Amino acid sequence: MSAWQRAANWTLLYVLRPLGQIALFIVLSALIMSALALTIGFVLRTPWHGISALKTYPNIDLLRQVITQLPNMLVDGITIGFVYAMIALGYTLVYGVLKFVNFAHSEVFMVGGVVGYEVMQFFSSAKQLQTMSPVLLILAMLLTSMVICGLLAVAIERLAYKPLRNAPRLVPLISAIGVSFFLQDFVRAIEALARNQFNLSYPTSDVPLLSNVRFPLINTQILWNGEMVPVATSINMNSVIVIISAILMLIGLNYFVNGTKLGKGIRAVSQDQGTASLMGINVNLMISLTFLVGGALGGAAGVLFGLKTGKITPYIGFIPGLKAFTAAVLGGIGNVTGALLGGILLGLLEAFFSSLLPYFPALGSGYSDIFAFAILILILIFRPAGLLGKKVDEKV
Amino acid sequence: MLLEAKGIVKKFGGLTAVQGVDYVQEPRSIDAIIGPNGAGKTTFFNILTGIYKPTSGTLTFNGKSLVGLSPDQINAAGISRTFQNIRLFNDMTVLENIMVGMHSRLRVNLIDTIFRLPRFGSQEVEVRRKAGQILDFISLTDKANEISRNLPYGDQRRLEIGRALASDPKLILLDEPTAGMNPQESVEAMGLFRRVRDELGITVLLIEHDMRVVMGISERITVLDYGQKIAEGDPLTVRQNPRVVEAYLGRGSAGSAGDK
Amino acid sequence: MATQEQPRPLNPVQSLAVRQPVIAGVLFIAIATGILLIITRQQLLFPFWSSIAFPMLAVSPFIVFALKIPTRIKLLLVLVVILLIIPYLGLKDSFYLELAVQIGIFAAMAMGLNIVVGFAGLLDLGYIAFFAVGAYLWGIFASKEGDTYINQIHAVTTPESFYLFLFGGIALAAIAGILLGLPVLRLKGDYLAIVTLGFGEMIRVLVSNLSNISSDPTITINITNGAQGLSGIASPPLPQFVFDAVGGIANLLGIKIGNIEGITYQFFFYFLVLFIGLIAALIAARLDNSPIGRAWTAIREDEIAARAMGVPLVRMKLLAFATGASFAGAMGVIYAAKQTFVSPESFSFNQSIFILVIVIVGGMGSIRGVVLGAVAVTLLNLQILPNLSLLLNSFKNSNEVSASVQNFFKSIPSQLEPAKYQRFVFGILLVLMMIYRPAGILPASRRKLEIDEQMGKAKDEALPRSDVEPEGPFITEDPNNAA
Repeated sequence: MSAWQRAANWTLLYVLRPLGQIALFIVLSALIMSALALTIGFVLRTPWHGISALKTYPNIDLLRQVITQLPNMLVDGITIGFVYAMIALGYTLVYGVLKFVNFAHSEVFMVGGVVGYEVMQFFSSAKQLQTMSPVLLILAMLLTSMVICGLLAVAIERLAYKPLRNAPRLVPLISAIGVSFFLQDFVRAIEALARNQFNLSYPTSDVPLLSNVRFPLINTQILWNGEMVPVATSINMNSVIVIISAILMLIGLNYFVNGTKLGKGIRAVSQDQGTASLMGINVNLMISLTFLVGGALGGAAGVLFGLKTGKITPYIGFIPGLKAFTAAVLGGIGNVTGALLGGILLGLLEAFFSSLLPYFPALGSGYSDIFAFAILILILIFRPAGLLGKKVDEKV
Repeated sequence: MLLEAKGIVKKFGGLTAVQGVDYVQEPRSIDAIIGPNGAGKTTFFNILTGIYKPTSGTLTFNGKSLVGLSPDQINAAGISRTFQNIRLFNDMTVLENIMVGMHSRLRVNLIDTIFRLPRFGSQEVEVRRKAGQILDFISLTDKANEISRNLPYGDQRRLEIGRALASDPKLILLDEPTAGMNPQESVEAMGLFRRVRDELGITVLLIEHDMRVVMGISERITVLDYGQKIAEGDPLTVRQNPRVVEAYLGRGSAGSAGDK
Repeated sequence: MATQEQPRPLNPVQSLAVRQPVIAGVLFIAIATGILLIITRQQLLFPFWSSIAFPMLAVSPFIVFALKIPTRIKLLLVLVVILLIIPYLGLKDSFYLELAVQIGIFAAMAMGLNIVVGFAGLLDLGYIAFFAVGAYLWGIFASKEGDTYINQIHAVTTPESFYLFLFGGIALAAIAGILLGLPVLRLKGDYLAIVTLGFGEMIRVLVSNLSNISSDPTITINITNGAQGLSGIASPPLPQFVFDAVGGIANLLGIKIGNIEGITYQFFFYFLVLFIGLIAALIAARLDNSPIGRAWTAIREDEIAARAMGVPLVRMKLLAFATGASFAGAMGVIYAAKQTFVSPESFSFNQSIFILVIVIVGGMGSIRGVVLGAVAVTLLNLQILPNLSLLLNSFKNSNEVSASVQNFFKSIPSQLEPAKYQRFVFGILLVLMMIYRPAGILPASRRKLEIDEQMGKAKDEALPRSDVEPEGPFITEDPNNAA
C-alpha cells in the first residue's frame, strides 16, 4: 500500500467518516425536529383540542410562527447541541470506564467557562483584544481551558474517587456531589477575591469579529394564507466558532479513541478492567487519561458556552450539566457516538421549546427547563439503554 | 409431579442459552442437573425462579403455572433457592438473614408495624421461634448474632440454605452448594441435603460439579450441554451414557465421567 | 495506638467522664448554659461564644447518652435541657428557639430521607420536593395572596384546619412519593439518583411558574404566586390563655418581651416540632425493627437475593418512598405555618443536598445519628457560618479592637463572608465523610436480637414439614398483591 493510499485511507476513516456521521446526525435530527415542530404548530393552531392550558394567545397563528422561526430554531439548537454533546462526552467516557456518573463534570465545565473568561480578560487588560488575531484568541482560550480542566478532572479523580473505587456504587456518587458543591464555592471565592464579583461577562463586544459579523443563511419569503411570510435566519461568528471547534474536537476525539494505542487501552479498560490489567494495560493510567480527555472536552465546552451566551457564573454548570447528562443517556450512556446524537437532539428540543412556550399564556418560557428532565425520565423508563445503546441483562 | 417444565427456551440476543429443555420432578425427590460450564444450568435455575423470563415454554409447579410470575411470587408459591456465588445479606446478622427469608410467609402491614398491634408482636415471636428452629437445623444457633460476612465459608453456605428454608418451600434449588468445599465438608453437606428432604419433606434440586456428591445423593440426574438436555436417568445410567462422557471429556475419550 | 498492656493515659476530662460521669454530664450542660446566660448581644465576641456554647448545649443529650450513667438520670438531664434550659434561653433570646425549631424540622425530614437512603439504599436527590408539596399545600389554602382564583370560589380554608392539613400534607407527599417511585423503580443506583434530582427540579420549576394557569390573557389564575412566593400564610390559632401564660412566665422570670405573640408562636412550634419529631423517630425505629425494615435492608444489600427470598421489590420500594416522603410532607405544612411565607427558593437542589449531608454526616440508617447530624449540620449552616460573618463584620466596625486588627479585617473582601460559602463547607464535608467515615459519626449498628427463651425449647421441636399446611400467624399473603 503506498503512502498516498494510506493517507487517503486514514483521511477516510478518521476525517471523512466522522464528518459524514456528524452531517448525517444534523440533517436527520433537524428533519425530525422540524417535522415535530410543524406538527405541534399545526395541531395546536386551532383550539379544537379543547385543552385550555394549550391555547395560544389570541390572534397568534402557531403554525405561521413555527414556519418563520424554524430556521432560527435549527441554527440555535444545533449550536447549543454541540456544546451539550461535548459535555455529554465527558459523562459518557467516564461512565464507560468506571460505570459511575461523574456528578462533578458540570463544575469542570463551569471552570472551563471561567478560565476562558480569565484568558479573555488577560488580553483585554493588555489592550490586545481589539488588535490581536481572533483565531489566536480563541485558540488561547480553548487550549488554556482544556489543559486546566483536563488536569482538574484528573486531580478530582485521584483525590475524591480513586480511594472509593471498591466502595458501594452510591459512595463515589455522593463524593462527586461533594466535589461539585465545593468547586462552585471555591471558584466563587477565587473570583470574589480577584475581581470582587463572580458574575462574569465575556468581553466579546471588544472583539469586532465576534460581535459584529453575521452570515445570512436564508432570507426568503413564502406565501402563506394569502400573505408573504418572511423566513430568514443568519448565524453569528460566535456560533460558527462553536460549531467549527466542536466538530474539530469531535474528530480529534474519534481519532484518539479509535485510532491510537491509548484509545484502544481505554476501550479495553471500559470492557473489562480485570482482563485489561492482566493484558499489561495500566488501568489507573487509562482511567486518569479518560478523565483528562473528558475534562478537556468539558473545559472547551465551557469556553464555547461562554462565547455563545456571554455570561458565566460559578453556579452555571448545574443546568447545562444535567442537560448534557440527559443527552448522554438519550444517545446511550457509554456510547461516544450516542453522546453526539443526544446532544444535538437535546439542543434542538430546547430551542423549540424555548421559542414556542411564550405563545401559551398558561405556560410561558419558565417551563423550558422542565422538558429536559421529562425527556430524561421518559428515556430511562422506556429505553434505559438510550437510542444507540444495547440492552444488557444483569448477570446473576 | 411437583415441577414440570416444557420446551423451555431462553435467548440472549443471538445466543441461545437454553434450547427446548423439558424437565419433570417428583415430590420428595433429590435430583441433580449437571453439565459442563456454560451448559445453561444456572440460566435454567434463573428461569425457574423468575429472575429471567423464558423466551418460550411453560412451567407448572404444584399444578399452577409459573410463567409471568416475579421472583418473589415464585418464592411465595413455594420455590426457594441458593446462589452459585453466595448472595447473603452481608451486613445483616445470621438471624436477620433467616428472618428475611420468611418474608413471603409474613403479614407485612404498615399499620400493624407502626402501632405495634398485638398480632405484630405475636408474629415477631413466632418468627424468632421458627428462626431458632432453622438455626438449630443448620447448626448455627451459637452464631445467631454474628454479621454474616464474618462467617467462615462453610457456614455461609449453610446459612444460605437456612435462609432458603425459612420460606417453607416445597422445592429448594441449590446452585453448586458444595463448590469450594473439601471432601469432608462435602460429605457433611450431603447429609444436610438428605435431612432437608427426609426430615422436612422438601424436594431438592441441585446443580453440582462434584461427581461424588451428584452420584452419591441424587435419585435422578439431568445432563445439559449447550443448552440442551442430552441425557437423564438414575446415576448409573447417566454415567454410562456415551453422550455424557463425550460432553465432559471431549469426543473420542473413554473412561469414567465420575472422576472429574 | 495504645496496646492492651499499656492503656493510654486519660487526660483530666476523660478521667472525669469515666470516674464521675454524672458530674461530667451536669458540668458539661452547666458550662454551656452558663456561657449562654452570661453573654449579651452587645459584646464583640458574642457570635464566637454563642456558636460554641449553643452547639455544646444542643449536643449535650448525645454526650449524656454516651456516658455511663443510670438511664433515669440520663433522661432527667435530657429533659432538663429540652424542657427547661432551651425554653428559658429562648425566652431571653428567641433566636435560640428558632434554631431549635429548625433543627427539629430538619431532623424529622432527615429521618424521612434516612428511610429512603439509609434503610432501603435508594439515593434520592430530590427529596426537598416532598417538603415543597407539604409547604405549598398549606401555603396555597391558607394565604390570601396566592389564591386569587380559589378566593373567588371561597374555598380558602380557616386557620383551624391546620391539623387536618398536617395529615393532608402527609397523605399528599406520600402520594407524590408513589408517583415518583412508580416510574423510576426499575432504575438502579446512579440513574435513580439523577432521576429523583430531575423530579425535584421539576417540582421547583412548577411552583415557580404556576403564577398563572389561565389561557385567557384577560384573566389571571394565580396558584403559587411564582418566584415571589406566598406570604401571609396563616398559623394555627392559639387560645388566649397560652399567650397570657407565656407573658406571665416571662414576668415571673423578670424577662421583658416585646412581641408576646411572636414568642408564643415560637414556643408553640418548638413543642409541636419536638412532638412530631419524636413521633417520626418512633415510627422510623419501629419500621426499622420489623419485617418491613428487614426487607428494606435486604433490598439495599442485594436486590436479586432479596427478590428470590420473597421480598416484593416494587411494593417495598414504593413503601420506602411513600413513608420517607410523608415525613417531609408533614414538616412542609409546619414550615409554611411557622414561616408564614414560602417561595421556590426554599426548595432548591441545595436544600435536598443539605438534608442528604445531615443523613450522611450523622450515619446512614442510624436514627440517633441522623438527629445528631441534624443538630451539627443545621447549626453549622444557620448559626456558626453566619456568626463567623457577624464576627468578621463586628471586627471591621468595632472600636474595641486596635486599628491594625481592624484594617486586617477590613482587607478581607465582603464577598468572602463565611455565611455565603455553605456549599464549600458541605462539599468538603461530603467528600471527607465518604473517604474516611462513610458510615457517619454514629453508625447504624446491627441489632443484637434476643432469640428469647423460645429458642432453647426450639431444639426439641422439629421444623414443621412442608407437606403440612403452615398454621398460626404464617398466613401467606396473596401473591397477586405484589405487582
